[in-house]
Amino acid sequence: MTALKKLTLTEPELVLALQSKDPAVLKTLYSMYSSALYGVISRIITHTELAEDVLQETFVKIWQSAAHYDNTKGRLFTWMMNIARNLSIDKLRSKDFKNSLKNQDIENNVSFVDEQNKVTFNPDVLGVKQLVENLKPDLQAVLDLVYYKGYTHVEAAERLDLPLGTVKTRIRLAIIELRRSFN
Amino acid sequence: MENIKAYIESGVLELYVLGDLSSEEALQVEEMASQNPEVGDEIAAIELAMENYAMQNAVQPSSDVETKLFEKLGIKEEEDTIIASSPYIEEPRIVSLDSSNGKIRTLRFALVACVALLVVSTAALFITYNKLNDAHDQIASLNLDKEKFAGVVSQLEFENKGLDNMVAMNDSKEWATIRMAGQPFSPKAKMNVYWNKVDKSVLINYVAMDLPKTDEKHEYQLWAMVDGKPVSLGVFGKTDSTANEALQKMQTIQNAQAFAVTVEPMGGSVNPTMEKLSVFGGV
Repeated sequence: MTALKKLTLTEPELVLALQSKDPAVLKTLYSMYSSALYGVISRIITHTELAEDVLQETFVKIWQSAAHYDNTKGRLFTWMMNIARNLSIDKLRSKDFKNSLKNQDIENNVSFVDEQNKVTFNPDVLGVKQLVENLKPDLQAVLDLVYYKGYTHVEAAERLDLPLGTVKTRIRLAIIELRRSFN
Repeated sequence: MENIKAYIESGVLELYVLGDLSSEEALQVEEMASQNPEVGDEIAAIELAMENYAMQNAVQPSSDVETKLFEKLGIKEEEDTIIASSPYIEEPRIVSLDSSNGKIRTLRFALVACVALLVVSTAALFITYNKLNDAHDQIASLNLDKEKFAGVVSQLEFENKGLDNMVAMNDSKEWATIRMAGQPFSPKAKMNVYWNKVDKSVLINYVAMDLPKTDEKHEYQLWAMVDGKPVSLGVFGKTDSTANEALQKMQTIQNAQAFAVTVEPMGGSVNPTMEKLSVFGGV
């Protein structure tokens, strides 16, 4: 296991180092969480270049606003994740993104189209994917929209034409399923 | 306690973790959590589930992002990054198999396109080269045809001129036509001589003769028989010649009973070689 040079710290150590602005900690943080955050960003923004821009912006924001993180309000990852999701959604709704959709030049088009139809073969994920696929389709539809597509639950309700309460219940049921699978 | 359970089951805590609440609603949740450990524990469990979920659905970004990020923040690469224990050390590094780099992919497509273009160009060049060769051959054969037709046309012009003259002579009545027939030396030969009754001039028409070819050292000589003696009227060239006029004027003769043609050495002879008498005809 020592052969795996995964740079890791416990959460309290990370928070402490981050808030004291230790440059080394950002590297650690990046190596621990960049792919997890990018997993969510790249599902909200399928365009690779823009998604990578958002990932960079996310870490810049984490670095610059580390002082605002309050560990009594939740886990560090939740905080970082929400930064990533908010930046992704902002980007999705920005002029920048809409222009980039219009101005796909021809040589990028192949990889762009490819990205749009991305199928990720991540062997570690297969178990979870399997689980999510075992979810009832109506649970999965809601989780997909809110977790992968960056919809708010209100938007998801409109999109699926469901009452708000039903959407909330389904999100909860989906997450309970997830919790069960991780225990 | 029933209220707390209902609160947890309302799904608001999940929305809180997903960052899907207004700041007022979020503040209420945080207040509830600080007052009720049960709510706090539930939030922590949801957070952990979502965190695990995110970890398991990780996608590796390209290494460019890290380089650019640390450049932007002015942090230098350092080897001695802090390593410490953590629950995640057990987890293998998640590397997405989908490492498709857009640029490399683009370049690969460009390369394939270039190769395809090269093949098509080469094929096109080869086809064009073959067509050019065909065209050259066609031009050569057309030139040959053209020369042939030019020859035919000049031959026709020549004959036409000769025929015109014959018609004109027949009409004028000044001209007598003497038909000379083939002799034992060349039985199939025949030839006409035109003798003007008024000015006594003599004409031959290449069109109106059919004599075998002479060799290079001989030519034909026309004779007039005057009171039994042959008088030379001059020599004439090969019968198939088209370079000359169709008509050739020979020497005039005041009086003649017959005309004859013999084969003589180039330049003609003083006396006819009677063994080589080709045609003969009386007036």
